Amino acid sequence: MGLFQHKKPVEPKTPQEEATDAVVNYIDETFKDELRTFGRSYFEKIINDTGALFQKDLNTTIGQVNVQLQAHVTQQLDVAIAQVNVELKERVAKQLENQFAEYNREMKDAQDLALKSLTENSEQLQAEYNDLRTMLQKNVADQKVTLTNVFEENKVRIAQMKEAQDLALKSLNDSAEALKTQYAEINDTLKTNVANQEAVLVSAFENNMGKIIEHYLLGALGDQYDLKAQLPSIIHQMDENKQAIVDDMKL
Amino acid sequence: MSEPQVKTHENFILPINVVTKIDVSRLVSEVERVDNDMTAAAVRAKSGAQQPTQPTLSEQLSEFLNQNGLKLDAGLERSTIIKELRLLKDKAPVLHMTFAVTADTESLQKLTEWVRTTVHPQAVIAVGLQPALVAGVYLRTPNHVHDFSMRGALEGRHGLLVEELEALRGSK
Repeated sequence: MGLFQHKKPVEPKTPQEEATDAVVNYIDETFKDELRTFGRSYFEKIINDTGALFQKDLNTTIGQVNVQLQAHVTQQLDVAIAQVNVELKERVAKQLENQFAEYNREMKDAQDLALKSLTENSEQLQAEYNDLRTMLQKNVADQKVTLTNVFEENKVRIAQMKEAQDLALKSLNDSAEALKTQYAEINDTLKTNVANQEAVLVSAFENNMGKIIEHYLLGALGDQYDLKAQLPSIIHQMDENKQAIVDDMKL
Repeated sequence: MSEPQVKTHENFILPINVVTKIDVSRLVSEVERVDNDMTAAAVRAKSGAQQPTQPTLSEQLSEFLNQNGLKLDAGLERSTIIKELRLLKDKAPVLHMTFAVTADTESLQKLTEWVRTTVHPQAVIAVGLQPALVAGVYLRTPNHVHDFSMRGALEGRHGLLVEELEALRGSK
């Protein structure tokens, strides 16, 4: 008897069961994780590839759609603009025609008014011209009469003035002669007076010459000599008058 | 032997630096002062209080004493000198001399020398100033005046100038 006496005997398995057990033993959790990871990355790769393709297709499609849409919109806009142009031209032309018609009418009215005014001014000017011409003719006639009268009067006056001038000229000649004579007399008198004055002045000058020179010398020589310089002269003069001095001192 | 001549005011010799009457008065005053000082000093010496000292004399007084051989030691002699100097001051002949400029001492001494040699040995000068004289001197003695000035020389000669002028005009 042994230790494994109570151990149940292993029942023999079928090949199917053995294959299932082998599979179960082979595909364990680690393998499953690896498979899961591989599958996830593969799936992501496929999704990314597919996304990129889809993105590319989508961009291409959007580009085409844009081109087509742009062309369509341009065509539509051209049509619309052409239509708007036509309508706008018509409307503007119509408005311009209306405006021109109104301007023409107003200009015509203004021209009529100006023409009327010019006509009236011309008539007024004509009338004034006629009045002035009549007045001028009258004035010329009056001036002619007046000038004739003045001329006659001046003729008489000129004759009188000429006569007066002759008289004045004669008087001036007489006065000039008188002045000439008087001038000669005054000249003689003046010469005589000047000679007399000169003689008086010279005489006065001569009479006062001594005092003048003395005054000059007194002013010029004052303080010029000190007593030492004068001493020889003083002693000489006292020597000359020595006797008189001595006699006076002895009295 | 003859006795030495007694000095009086009549034979005093005045030194040349005593020129004017004021100088003589100054001599009198100074001798009086010296006499007082020496008398007082003699009294003090007698009382034994102080030895007598020689008084200080001016140059004019020293010269005067030397030239006249006088001494001031004796009181009697001093009194005589004072008396005689007073007489000299009153009686000395005076010449009034007026100059055109201020007179300097040297010139005055020369003039004094001439006056004492020629006129009187004890004569003194009274000096005056009158710039209008221009030059020269206006001398006045007791009874006369002597105008030796340039103004005086010109005053009497106006006629000469006029004559010269007339001669000059006539020559033209």
